[in-house]
Amino acid sequence: MRSRLHLARWLVVTFICVWSLFPIYWALNTSLMSNSTAQAIPTHFSPFPIDLSNYAHIFSSTGEYGLWPSFSQSVVNTVIECAAATVVTIVIAVFSAYAFARMQFRFKNAIFYVVIATLTLPAYATLIPLYRIMSQVHLVNTYTGVVLVYVSGFLPLAIWILYNYFMTIPKALEEAAFVDGASALTALVRIILPLTGPGIASAAIITFLTAWGQFLFPLVLTTDISTQPLTVFLTGLQGRFVIPYTLLNATGVLSIVVPALVVMFLNRYIIRGMMAGSVK
Amino acid sequence: MQKEAMFRKHSPQDVPVQSRLNKERSAVLPYVLISPLILFIGALALYPTVRTFVESFFGVDPLNPQGFVGLQNYVSVFNNPAVIYSWVNTFLYMAFGTGLSTLVAVLVALGLRVNFRGRAVVLAILILPWALPAITEGIIWAWIYDPSFGVLNSILHSLHLISHYQLWISGNRILTVFLIELVQVWQMTPLSIILILAGLQSIPDELYEAARVDGAGLLRTTFTISLPLVRPSIAVAVVQSLVASLNVFDQVYVLNANATTGSSIMLQTYNITFQNLNFGEGYALSFIAVLITMAIALGLLKITYRRVEF
Repeated sequence: MRSRLHLARWLVVTFICVWSLFPIYWALNTSLMSNSTAQAIPTHFSPFPIDLSNYAHIFSSTGEYGLWPSFSQSVVNTVIECAAATVVTIVIAVFSAYAFARMQFRFKNAIFYVVIATLTLPAYATLIPLYRIMSQVHLVNTYTGVVLVYVSGFLPLAIWILYNYFMTIPKALEEAAFVDGASALTALVRIILPLTGPGIASAAIITFLTAWGQFLFPLVLTTDISTQPLTVFLTGLQGRFVIPYTLLNATGVLSIVVPALVVMFLNRYIIRGMMAGSVK
Repeated sequence: MQKEAMFRKHSPQDVPVQSRLNKERSAVLPYVLISPLILFIGALALYPTVRTFVESFFGVDPLNPQGFVGLQNYVSVFNNPAVIYSWVNTFLYMAFGTGLSTLVAVLVALGLRVNFRGRAVVLAILILPWALPAITEGIIWAWIYDPSFGVLNSILHSLHLISHYQLWISGNRILTVFLIELVQVWQMTPLSIILILAGLQSIPDELYEAARVDGAGLLRTTFTISLPLVRPSIAVAVVQSLVASLNVFDQVYVLNANATTGSSIMLQTYNITFQNLNFGEGYALSFIAVLITMAIALGLLKITYRRVEF
């Protein structure tokens, strides 16, 4: 049994590494080649000697493509939209999740059920009305419009993760604080929040990554490069047939640097958050 | 230090804790805490959903508003061959995506159940595709699938599995749908694996030890302990991939933008609404998709909500 288990494990680990990493390696490999090397047959499986001209095109404001002004603007847009959406989502989610986990109030179960149910609300349900609402209030093509929509979409999952986390903290801690005369809010801020760090980290990181990958909503809600995130910028590039695949892959590689670093250093929080949706 | 002081000072009988909790029960504080949530969910999730439903009965073409039109949007959506074509594709996406990702997820999760040195690193590598933007993944895979220079052709050719380079996307319809869905499977399977792994790890070790004492091997324990006990987690994983593949958009948009071969219902909705500016039909199509999603998702809630206690 032991040797069979080892064989199975070895197969699974090899499969995961190849399956997860090969496409990413391939994008990196392609991005470090000239266009003619990338189109050579037989295929070059390693990029040596390395050609950095694709990255030079991205970091240059002049020349054939001059991508820097639009690329850098879309990076700024992505960072602002993701950071703002994450901060607002987490602040609102912490207080609501605490209320759901610890307090009694009328309609609590009904409200909680509806909020969690919106977790499964597909983009179809809200896409067209949100576009119309945002154009009525003149928030199309603004950071505010994008962030508002993100927050409404990401709140349910953040609340679910934090709610589950609060449930693992013993109630005795707050009861002790109440005995000392603390109010519920003091107990939350001084006793519970310091213990909720890992839960907040999980919720915040997952919210941030989800925001980073958004495409359909920004595609509809942003109309020019002043607010378009990287994903929309990338598809815009792809639509321009003069852009070679090597350059497209280089831009793609740059768009995954931040999420890849987040996974590299914060993966245990992500995994813990992903497990919040599981059935124990 | 502060915490110690609290524990020391009073015994629970000194101050009626329960009465304080009761006081909070009537207070407005919980409503204050959840009010931003109510505002966001109400105004930007529930209200738009209701509006999708209501306006699906109106002619809301911005260029040519017509008022109430009854079921006309639904009728024209059902009579549109492109829509029917996209529905069939979408069901294919759901079948391929859910089947493949669940199968892979169960096998991989079983292989990772018992802890081993380096498992944390393997898990980090595993979740990487889940964390990346679907758009970038689509661009990466589009190049892999490239008909003239793609590495898929190159590898299959050097293995003599194909005699000449193939057009993978936009040629054969089933193949197109399968290969686009494979990109989504790449992204969504890590979540299924983690969900199933969490389920597997909550099975007490004593069960496996008892089975081993009784002489049961790896296959035996897999089929009599692991799989039956992890069924609820598998169900959640199935539902998440069903919903994700029903909503497939980004991958189709990138890999099949200028052709209709792989069109999904979400892409169709986007085109009808934002390209043809036929908002009414867009609403009708959206609402049908919402109903199907909610029906599937209700299954999920039934499974997960059981765990929620108040």
